Amino acid sequence: MLASFMSAALLSIFLQNSIFERALGINILIYAARKRSSVIGFTLGLCYITTLSSIAAWGLDRAYGGHEYYAALAPALYILIIGVLYLSSLIAVWRFFHNLFKKIKKFVHLTVFNCAVLGALFISSQSGSGLPGYLGYGLGTGLGFLVAGFLLYVAHPRLNSELVPLAFRGMPIMVIYIGILSLALHAFVGYSASI
Amino acid sequence: MEKNKQRLSDGLVRQNIVLMSGIAITPVAACATDFEKSLSLSLGFTIIAFFSVLLCRFIPKRIVYTIRVIIYALIAGLVYIPAYFALNAVFGEAATAELGLYLPILAVNPLILTKTETRFCLRPPHLMTIELLGYIVGFDIVCILVGTLRDIMVNGRVGWMNLNAGFYIPAFETTFGGLIITGAAAGMCRAAYNSHKRKRTEKAEKEKQRQEFIKEVIQ
Repeated sequence: MLASFMSAALLSIFLQNSIFERALGINILIYAARKRSSVIGFTLGLCYITTLSSIAAWGLDRAYGGHEYYAALAPALYILIIGVLYLSSLIAVWRFFHNLFKKIKKFVHLTVFNCAVLGALFISSQSGSGLPGYLGYGLGTGLGFLVAGFLLYVAHPRLNSELVPLAFRGMPIMVIYIGILSLALHAFVGYSASI
Repeated sequence: MEKNKQRLSDGLVRQNIVLMSGIAITPVAACATDFEKSLSLSLGFTIIAFFSVLLCRFIPKRIVYTIRVIIYALIAGLVYIPAYFALNAVFGEAATAELGLYLPILAVNPLILTKTETRFCLRPPHLMTIELLGYIVGFDIVCILVGTLRDIMVNGRVGWMNLNAGFYIPAFETTFGGLIITGAAAGMCRAAYNSHKRKRTEKAEKEKQRQEFIKEVIQ
């Protein structure tokens, strides 16, 4: 059980990092990588939401995974899980940690409703076997975001410096940089189409 | 009429969601690996984004954004259902399955969740529709262009048409290939746009100087 959890978590942090392997959540990463506190804040939010929602996704997949129209209904059901978790967590934070609520309320929806979170549930559903696998992929996606976020954060000043042509400064050069990091990571696992 | 053109071109070029703002870069970089896939991805995006934003407009503003954003995402998740069946009918189940998780994640696209709030809902319905179409067509064009380019470089063909290009770069089928191509395309698009903008400003300044000169001569 622990081995299944650990292998799923390690895979999704390094070899199947959702940013480098599947480009999930790149727009959020580029936004977050400007400040260290943002990288940490987004990582905490992602870890929390992907880990907890993967438990509910596991239950849902187990109960209805074999249904004929499950592939069509899954996104709406996963969004419902994420929405319920988001709302209940936000109410709890607002009730018990009022100062924290004031700090996070402006960007918390960006942390929760993005393709990295929804994508993590689909990756868990495709690759995770049993609850430990789902949990491992859920937590690993969040921690993988931290790895990618930190790598982008340390390169951020140079990527936005005058060394880079004006048209490429900001998003274009960051996307190319993520592509080069992804290429380096592919060297460990070999070429494979991302789907 | 001129303003409508400008609104349309806003989403097409100036605020293109793939090349300029990068908010919808993920599906293009990772999934538009050939012409057919890019075509089905574009159709999926068109259906999901268009109908979701139109329906989201009916959500009352009295509801706080914290809850509205959940409703927006849920609406997009529900619009995904007919979109999924439409894609199955048009391209076949196998082609839709090839899109993998990149089709369902379109439901949480920032165009639906953020732009609806900050842009589309602030406009009257007809202007909103024009702007929305601009954004969607902007995505579709970039998606199909990237897919076509990768199809040529990876398979030496465009869809069913064999080009016998003579060179093949299989690495462009991967995510890193997609990221590098899309990033480079974004940089070039920005450079072209900046150059066009600079030229237009220079032309306007020259015209202004010419008008002033004419005025002085007349006086």
